[in-house]
Amino acid sequence: MSMKKMLSVLLAGAMAISLAACGSKTPNPPEVTPKTPSGSASVSTPEGPTDDGVWRPFNEKGETIRTDRDATGENGMVASSNVYATMAGLEILEQGGNAVDAAIAVCYALGVAEPFTSGLGGGGFMIVHTADGENQFIDYREVASSGQTAESWLDDSGNLIENANSVGGLAVGVPGEVAGLELALSQFGSGKLSRQQIMQPAIDLANNGYVVSPTMYGAIADEYERMIGEYSELGQYYLKDGLPYEVGDTVTNPDLAKTLQLIAENGADAFYKGEVAEAIVAAVQKHGGVMTTEDLANYKAEERVPVTGTYRGYQIISAPPASSGGTHIVEALNVLENYDIGAMEVNSAEYLHLFSETFKACFADRAAYMADTAFADVPLDGLTSKDYAKTIYEKITDGSQDWTAGNPAQYEGNSTTSFSIADKEGNVVTVTQTIECFWGSKIAVEGYGFIMNDEMHDFSTSLDSVNKLEPGKRPLSSMSPTIVLREDGSSFMSVGSPGGLRIWPTVTQVISHVIDHNMDIQEAIDTARIFDNGTDTGINYESGGVTPVTADVAAALEAQGHAVTDKGEWQLFFGGVQGIVYQEDGTLRGGADPRRDGKALGF
Amino acid sequence: MIKKISALVLAGAMALSLAACGAEDKVTPPGGSNPGTSASGTSSSSGSGELTGLTEAFAEAPILLTTGGQSADYQMVGTLMKNLGMDYTMDNKATSAELGDAKTLIVVVGGSSKGLGAAGIDADGELARVDELIKGAEDAGLSIIVMHTGGSARRGDLSDKFITPIFEKADYAVVVKSGDEDGLMAGVCASNSIPVDMIDAISEVATVLPKAFK
Repeated sequence: MSMKKMLSVLLAGAMAISLAACGSKTPNPPEVTPKTPSGSASVSTPEGPTDDGVWRPFNEKGETIRTDRDATGENGMVASSNVYATMAGLEILEQGGNAVDAAIAVCYALGVAEPFTSGLGGGGFMIVHTADGENQFIDYREVASSGQTAESWLDDSGNLIENANSVGGLAVGVPGEVAGLELALSQFGSGKLSRQQIMQPAIDLANNGYVVSPTMYGAIADEYERMIGEYSELGQYYLKDGLPYEVGDTVTNPDLAKTLQLIAENGADAFYKGEVAEAIVAAVQKHGGVMTTEDLANYKAEERVPVTGTYRGYQIISAPPASSGGTHIVEALNVLENYDIGAMEVNSAEYLHLFSETFKACFADRAAYMADTAFADVPLDGLTSKDYAKTIYEKITDGSQDWTAGNPAQYEGNSTTSFSIADKEGNVVTVTQTIECFWGSKIAVEGYGFIMNDEMHDFSTSLDSVNKLEPGKRPLSSMSPTIVLREDGSSFMSVGSPGGLRIWPTVTQVISHVIDHNMDIQEAIDTARIFDNGTDTGINYESGGVTPVTADVAAALEAQGHAVTDKGEWQLFFGGVQGIVYQEDGTLRGGADPRRDGKALGF
Repeated sequence: MIKKISALVLAGAMALSLAACGAEDKVTPPGGSNPGTSASGTSSSSGSGELTGLTEAFAEAPILLTTGGQSADYQMVGTLMKNLGMDYTMDNKATSAELGDAKTLIVVVGGSSKGLGAAGIDADGELARVDELIKGAEDAGLSIIVMHTGGSARRGDLSDKFITPIFEKADYAVVVKSGDEDGLMAGVCASNSIPVDMIDAISEVATVLPKAFK
């Protein structure tokens, strides 16, 4: 071989080696890993770390898991939005308490471990069905302070002062939780357990701590600016070294434990009078409110007659005014009863069109009629009558419509948390309680560990509204704790949800899923939901999760004249349902919402 | 003789091949010529090259701190910077008009629909604002530091909208690892030769950020 040829060969070989070496390092684009599994919630994802033995709603990466929320039991069942609260209720049932005893334990525990949704500074509704057939509703909704009027938060031009109805002292109503739970205990408690025993799980929780979830971290992050600024008392409880507690951190609240212990020893007076009451007034007035110790001393929880109706033979028992929710659940189901919903595919265009039109019609009535019945005449019998629902059914066409209020008189008749408890005797309790928006008014009562509500946010700021603020008045609510009985009067289902205006449409959908499509309660809760109150966003829908609303269905709805808004998957917007069903064999099935931190436990 | 020439040619070719491959992999951080490991000891390969952490201070005060997406994360970084005694101003709606005498721009990326609503801006408007601000910073010769400190909780369609277009403009990035399981931010940094420190928690910003400043 000539020198020239050899050199060429050597160079060519060397070049080939160099190209091969560099080629082996040619990069690939980064792979994208799907964030959450789509489709059925039965797709397994890793369960949360249980290093302290307590179930977690999130995995080791800090991502909320969407499975493992349900439970089956024979003797008792608790389904709440927080596993620590669920455990508190179960502990009371296991000690021999009844469903009401357990409900009280859960209420207090939720105020510890889910402080951004409810607590001592808030209010709520409890509905009870006793094993011997009695139905009762306890209204512990907050009321406006005696010194506050509809004009209190308006400027000289008659406009709402920015955020005055949601943040700060003028947003705060006189809290009702402690009074309501004391009333429930005295009227419906088993008598087997003392108040101290019932409250002990919550006291222990406040002293020993609970683990922060992604939901709670997000709630802290959303109000971080206020927590490091004007509402630093709140930050003292929920920031660590000036930053939010991280997912997986443990939070304790010894101040709250102290307050709970005062109530355990001395009942409602420990809260509505004395040092706690004075601290509440000081905190509220510091931030511009007008509440007085007299307002607190005068607060009364009320027993009311629940709203009732029927749906395909089942009895519906739900929240009366000052909640609109129960009335509109009955109204909506009365309309839907005219259709063979069970023969329709869930979340098909045909199915969703009917729910959308029904909801819009009900919301039109809500705006026109619903308010605190102590201050307004509300045509309850008309709104819940089958004949009135028929008039709505007859107006529904194949196209989307704008709805105005009907005339039910001639037929005369989301910040928040909800849980369900049932025992084997047939006692059922559903509670929905709240401090209104997450973290309420942002006012924490320093030294006592709890947060004051911003329930006044639920009043209309219009001076012409039937739901305007008046001293001593309860603001209109959408909370709809509901109990469903079989035709023979036996217990069938407990269901409720947070979610503001979305509450009753959400509860209506879950009830229909169980009754019309024979869904297991967990599947009914998981199934993608819609919301439509007749505004520009049209049908708000979930496009992911279980049985999502597909793009084809959304297009079909648009063709019918609906506006549609894709809210994604597993959205807090659509509430956080907890529910329990008594199965035919007598066992209890509990379900909890993967959209938040819900967990059911039974025994 | 032929043997010697062959050896020389092969040696030369080997040297060429090593130099060629090395040039593609080498990532040069601002002010430095040698790649290093990240503060947390983690480096990963993706994109067009290896990730490297910051090895040399390059930025100067005063600092303008803003958000890209209106999440509260930028306020948390502000708290850390305050605790460090850094010379900075915060403005969640900053445009290039607010750059003033700043020498470094820090953008903390994370989308919040609540934050956008409170700021009275939609996602597209926010992206346009940050884009204009960064262009102004680049024209004025500012150093640009971009962070994602919200972890996995601050990922999703809304937050992701802001990540690539803002991270691409960074001179240095800080990322809480749990927010980059899919390697999106690592990929952008690698593709653009941006040094990045991957940290375990937002509190570690207090450790890594001061090292970026002269």
